Amino acid sequence: MTNSTILVVIALLAVIAFAVVRQKSVAVVSGATDTLHSLPRYHGYYASLMVLLPGLAVLALWAVSGKTIVENLILAGLPDAIADSNAERLDLLINRIRLIAENGTGIETSEHLLAAAERFNRLYGMGIVATLLLSMGASAAGYLYAARKVVAEFRARPRFEKILHGLLALSSFLAIAITIGIVASLIFESLRFFQQVPLDEFVFGVKWSPQTALRIDQIAAEGAFGAVPLFAGTFLIAFIAMIVAGPIGLLAAIYLTQYAGPATRNVAKPVLEILAGVPTVVYGFFAALTVAPLFRDAGIVMGLDVASESALAAGVVMGIMIIPFVSSLSDDALMAVPDSIKQGSLALGATPAETIVRVLLPAALPGIASSFLLAVSRAIGETMIVVMAAGMRPNLTANPLEAVTTVTVQIVALLTGDQEFNSTKTLSAFALGLALFVTTLVFNIFALQLVRRYRQAYD
Amino acid sequence: MLNAAIESENEALSPPKMTIRDVHVHYGDIHAVKGVTLDLRPDQVTALIGPSGCGKSTLLRCMNRMNDTIADCRVEGQVFLDGQDIYDSQIDVVQLRARVGMVFQKPNPFPKSIYDNVAYGPRIHGLATDRDALDEIVEASLEKAGLWQEVKDRLDQVGTALSGGQQQRLCIARAIAVNPEVILMDEPCSSLDPIATAKVEALIDELSARYAIVIVTHSMQQAARVSQKTVFFHLGEMIEYGDTTQMFTAPREDRTRDYITGRIG
Repeated sequence: MTNSTILVVIALLAVIAFAVVRQKSVAVVSGATDTLHSLPRYHGYYASLMVLLPGLAVLALWAVSGKTIVENLILAGLPDAIADSNAERLDLLINRIRLIAENGTGIETSEHLLAAAERFNRLYGMGIVATLLLSMGASAAGYLYAARKVVAEFRARPRFEKILHGLLALSSFLAIAITIGIVASLIFESLRFFQQVPLDEFVFGVKWSPQTALRIDQIAAEGAFGAVPLFAGTFLIAFIAMIVAGPIGLLAAIYLTQYAGPATRNVAKPVLEILAGVPTVVYGFFAALTVAPLFRDAGIVMGLDVASESALAAGVVMGIMIIPFVSSLSDDALMAVPDSIKQGSLALGATPAETIVRVLLPAALPGIASSFLLAVSRAIGETMIVVMAAGMRPNLTANPLEAVTTVTVQIVALLTGDQEFNSTKTLSAFALGLALFVTTLVFNIFALQLVRRYRQAYD
Repeated sequence: MLNAAIESENEALSPPKMTIRDVHVHYGDIHAVKGVTLDLRPDQVTALIGPSGCGKSTLLRCMNRMNDTIADCRVEGQVFLDGQDIYDSQIDVVQLRARVGMVFQKPNPFPKSIYDNVAYGPRIHGLATDRDALDEIVEASLEKAGLWQEVKDRLDQVGTALSGGQQQRLCIARAIAVNPEVILMDEPCSSLDPIATAKVEALIDELSARYAIVIVTHSMQQAARVSQKTVFFHLGEMIEYGDTTQMFTAPREDRTRDYITGRIG
């Protein structure tokens, strides 16, 4: 028996409660359902929630804390000689016991470990049975509570709606709490990094070389954590991407909103938005295997020295990727300009082009600007294309023909493969992540601010 | 009988500014305007009245070809401006709209400054050679629209920040600025309060000396107050055309009387 069995049992109980209480509510008024305050099905819904929630609460409690409780019981039962060792060793011990408990004895021969593993399994099994009984008991209590309430006057519908309301609020709260948790862990780990590397070195340093010695006597680089080359590379690629995506996206939006007929628009808009659905890894190998060699060969013809992992190739492909962002958001901004204004301009004898340039674009400018900003923040945070198509070597340059690396590429490089968790090198990934997060956050806030001001103009 | 009345009138007066001959308008399968024939005099206000959906706004939008912007709209018949067919393929619609201005139901100033709103038309048509000339046009237009005194100290403020009535007079100033010959007004007061309405009506009266004005309105009183000629439409057909006073005191047609007295609509 596992936790999911308990889940199924509770769900079954809830379904039964729904059917029974629904029937009961009809019976209570001897079939005259119009005398019920709430429809029979709302009595049913209410009862099934009353069964579901207490049962699930017990199960959730067990799922979160069950193993820890059992572990502590095991530890308490170990011989004193072992139990007295330090925390890390105990951790290891518990892990070994659980491994034996879950996967069989294997090569383990230590008597007391085998005994402990057996105890673990026994206790855990008891725990599950206890949880099943407890949750069924809680569900039964919920059922009795709900069943007792079935009278004509009982306001089952408002009660049900209220509980539903609470559950919805809980979901949104959870989403926010998780986000805050992620940011908090990012900040926490970054603080540990900044204890080892001063903030000004990170922010203003122009050398990035995160190789640090693993052992004290090892010959290795000192380690330099200046993030400037990484951000320079990131912004260079994002800039190239915007040079591609900005004009194409905006012109596409203008064409689709102002010139294209409904038939063209109905085809072209979804197709353009499909571009946004292409997995970035596909763009990545498109950039690495098609575009980058193409640029290099073109460079040879023109006598230019183009790196095989040039910023240009990565930037251009990233630009193609973010075209739909620009076009779709600019499209919305242009569509939001009231048609009456456009008519007013046309009625004054302005041509469609004059109307677009002199009236529609200025009116939609905040929306268009915010679409650009959102696209930039997307370009800055984009990882897969640059991992595949941009270089690995930090390079402080403005020349798009050279290879540069980006923040995201370095984070991937830092955290790929084996790494020591407490080293400055690993922690630097969190600092980079935080810096990246702050950068895109600033862009997003700025963009949303623009959109908000823009909305006010037409209300 | 209607045509005969128009013909007899033609002999007595100066040539009409616009002549509409047997105009039909279709929106897809809907026959919105059914054979309208009408003359517009250069120094008169003509009111188009009738219940909603009777085709009066559609007819108005035929006179500056704003119907062109509607995808499945089809216009048959002829509309002449100074004897020239405006639906002729040789006609430049941009030129036409500079000569036939339009004021819309809802004030629709551009989200630009008051000055730029008025200067918009002169700029695109190149009516002013330098800044001074443009300033003059803007001032004169706002003056004619009766708005100059209210806005002369804040020309750089955004036009959408004005009150509804001021916005509508700004739109009228904007239309006047390109020096049109005809001004079409599509229920210009329907979103205004009575005081703003009175101001716009007084303005229409003043402007009628210089421009041929066609106004679509749902208000009988407004038609009676501002117009010299009234046309009554019903279900896409032109039912009656005549002097406003005669129309409101002794309508020839029963349907006109029913509408004016509120029995159909």
